[in-house]
Amino acid sequence: MTRTMTRPMTRPAQESGAHVPTDKEGVRALAVGGESSGPLQSLRQWAAELKVDLEWAADLPRATRLLAGGRWDLVLAVLGEKADEDLTWWVDALRGAPGAPRFIALADRPSMGLALRAEKLGVLDVLSLPLRREAFAAVLERVHSAVSEVALPLPPVEANAVGDYALVGQSPVMLDVYKLLARVAHSTATVLVQGESGTGKEVVARAIHKHGPAATGPFVAVNCAAIPENLLESELFGHEKGAFTGAVARKIGRFEQAGSGTLFLDEIADMSLSLQAKILRAVQEREIERVGGGESIPVTVRLIAATNRNLQEAITQGRFREDLYYRLAVVTIQLPRLIDRGDDLVLLVAHFARQFGQRYGKRVDGISDRALDLLRNHQWVGNVRELSNVIERAVIVATDATLRAEHLPDELRAAEAEAERAGTGLPTLAQVEARHIARVLAHTGGQIGAAAEILGIHRNTLTRKMKEYGL
Amino acid sequence: MRVEQALRLLPDLEALMPLRGLLLSSARPDERVQWGSGGPYLTVGKREVEPGELARHMSEVLSVVAAHVGALYGAYVEALEHQQAGDAAGAVTSLLGAGRLEERVGRLRQAEAWYEVALALAEGLQDRRPEVETLLSLGHVCLAVAQYAEGGRHYQRALVLAEAEFDQGGAIDASVGLGNVALERAEWEGAQAWYSRALRLGAAGGDRFRLGRIEHRLGLLARRQGDLAGAGDHLRSAREYFEGLGPDVKGGGREMAHVLDAQGQLDAALGRPVPAAAAFREALAWVRRDDHDAALDVTIRLHLAELLLETGRLLEADEEMRRAEQLAITSNQTRGLVRIYTLLGTLRGRQGDETGFVFFEQALELCRALVRSPAEEARVYHAYGLFRQHSGGPDEARAYLERAREIFRSLGVDAEVERVAAEIETLSA
Repeated sequence: MTRTMTRPMTRPAQESGAHVPTDKEGVRALAVGGESSGPLQSLRQWAAELKVDLEWAADLPRATRLLAGGRWDLVLAVLGEKADEDLTWWVDALRGAPGAPRFIALADRPSMGLALRAEKLGVLDVLSLPLRREAFAAVLERVHSAVSEVALPLPPVEANAVGDYALVGQSPVMLDVYKLLARVAHSTATVLVQGESGTGKEVVARAIHKHGPAATGPFVAVNCAAIPENLLESELFGHEKGAFTGAVARKIGRFEQAGSGTLFLDEIADMSLSLQAKILRAVQEREIERVGGGESIPVTVRLIAATNRNLQEAITQGRFREDLYYRLAVVTIQLPRLIDRGDDLVLLVAHFARQFGQRYGKRVDGISDRALDLLRNHQWVGNVRELSNVIERAVIVATDATLRAEHLPDELRAAEAEAERAGTGLPTLAQVEARHIARVLAHTGGQIGAAAEILGIHRNTLTRKMKEYGL
Repeated sequence: MRVEQALRLLPDLEALMPLRGLLLSSARPDERVQWGSGGPYLTVGKREVEPGELARHMSEVLSVVAAHVGALYGAYVEALEHQQAGDAAGAVTSLLGAGRLEERVGRLRQAEAWYEVALALAEGLQDRRPEVETLLSLGHVCLAVAQYAEGGRHYQRALVLAEAEFDQGGAIDASVGLGNVALERAEWEGAQAWYSRALRLGAAGGDRFRLGRIEHRLGLLARRQGDLAGAGDHLRSAREYFEGLGPDVKGGGREMAHVLDAQGQLDAALGRPVPAAAAFREALAWVRRDDHDAALDVTIRLHLAELLLETGRLLEADEEMRRAEQLAITSNQTRGLVRIYTLLGTLRGRQGDETGFVFFEQALELCRALVRSPAEEARVYHAYGLFRQHSGGPDEARAYLERAREIFRSLGVDAEVERVAAEIETLSA
């Protein structure tokens, strides 16, 4: 296996061209709403003294036209009765707008829930109406005092490419993976790849296939989580014409398609128990039957399975067959989370920046220190897949060869905004509580029962607090 | 529990439709699943639904249902009162009101039933204007459920009556309706003749709102015929009419959104992606400014996603479709959801991703369970067939295209039948 090579990143003195308004430079702001009356009228008189080049849009359509026609640093708009929906609408409308303007939402007595949602969406701030000069000035101060970004060169990366896929990284945890991968590839053993979502299980499966005895055959991947339960069996084993409603023609299943190559069953834990039994039969007997067909068809595929679940736990809960587990887990490869891979993040950023740069016909050879900090501080729930997505988007919106903070999704910049706000004063106990509840709810996917359990309170208490904080 | 599992436990009963809607709108994607390898293929069927969450929102849905049923009962009582007072025209108005309430919540068959009752009453009146209004409503609902021949008959009768009664507004609307029927059936000359007639009538009366709508329809027709310059002229005129209405005219923003949406599609056809995207964005702003029409919002976002798809900006197209999906799910726009999944399937097809078939399967499932529109189902089968041409096999592709052709034929949409037949022919060659 070839390992990735890199040189340490150096910090050059060169200043980036990112537009951050300085104290001497005015902020270009667009206020949306009635100018002569309403809650924003005081803005006009503060604008000059606060060095804000302010323009007005009487309504949303006019604002959209102005946004498309020029670069803006800030957009201020009053949220209506459906504040949550308005907030989402604005974040969406400003996505990709020239100059990547930051959004300041103005609302009558904004709830804590609204403020937290705004924070999550990367909104610069939510200010309470009537607007106070000091509050507006404080937000502007944050815009002014944002540090200039320094461009850092992206390190060279030598990836172990498998078609469009690549294994990138030289952290100790990844070196262990490479060693195991090299040992297992030359055998025909069934392999179980485990790891969180987006850690690269399919890439590893492809690498095993490419370096193994089945390399000359096809690599066929089936995503068991993506395919509706009722269609998965026919997808795997095929069907005869008329076997069921919708079986409009004979279909060759993935087992047969894989022939003497490799069949990769991704998210295997999502399979029903009855289908698990059929897979077990295919693995043991090396033969399958098409749905609606009586003939046994021999198969010689190498099987690689993957999951992001804990299969031992699934076995205990009766959701996964123990006999199938032992058939699949002849060799187990555990993939690390991105946040456990240290400086692999920088290598991956470099790899993806070049890969997407090539795809979109752009030269990308640097990243700003601020953007890199944001990437380093992110939690990466979606691991490498999420990082790839973020870098692809950044490459698309980048206007020169350096990726900057403004090219990153608002959600990543939200952490920075939160830190900036935290610097302005200590939060109240209620604010801390609301924030913590919101985090736990996000963790449980909004499930109140599970959230109450984690928080150690009764679900009725949690429901009451959610209502109180507007969560 | 997943939505697809939960739906299997729900019998196919009319009374349970709001519960089906609630099931879909309360479903949430699991953040961990989103980033999994199955994430790109997530559909509403794979979302998680929590019984407790359903229970929490049950009362809201029931109160909406109760309010709707209450309004229908109220409209009926009002109709009875009018009838008792000898005001049959008033009774017709009340019954039409009930039908419109049903239309607003997407219950088109139920709306049609109210309109039929109103028509029976209106036919006995000396004043024919209530009958014209009822026939126009029936024509509109028939068009929405792809019953073009029947819709055409209603509009034709409305036109005759309106002209006899010197009801100019009714005559314009009936002509536009006939033009719409012709447009849906790809009968360009017929559509042109009806819209032009409506335009002449409208110009005489100076009704800016109606004139704007006719110009908009003429713009759509010109684009469908390939006359892109002409389409641009008509859309510009439509915009001028609506801009001159002033901000307080009810529905003006919605009409403007329609025109800008058409403008975006036109710019896209002219290979001008930047102004096209700007037009779609402004259209969305008009939708937001007026009473938010979720169905229109979803439609515009879909057109924006199509533009991104056609210009190869697949990641952004995907993101836009996912935003439209979220909106369609939370606002119960199942018809929009079908279109979104069809387009997502097409996008995956462009990426050479065979697993993209899951989107077509989900779209068909929604057609069968919730939308119940043969026209939508035919469009899904058509796109599915094209997808299978490149990913799957010719047998499956042919089978889906034939199914689409069969449905289009049953609807009497000859242009679509011919188009699909030509694709089947190519496949066989």
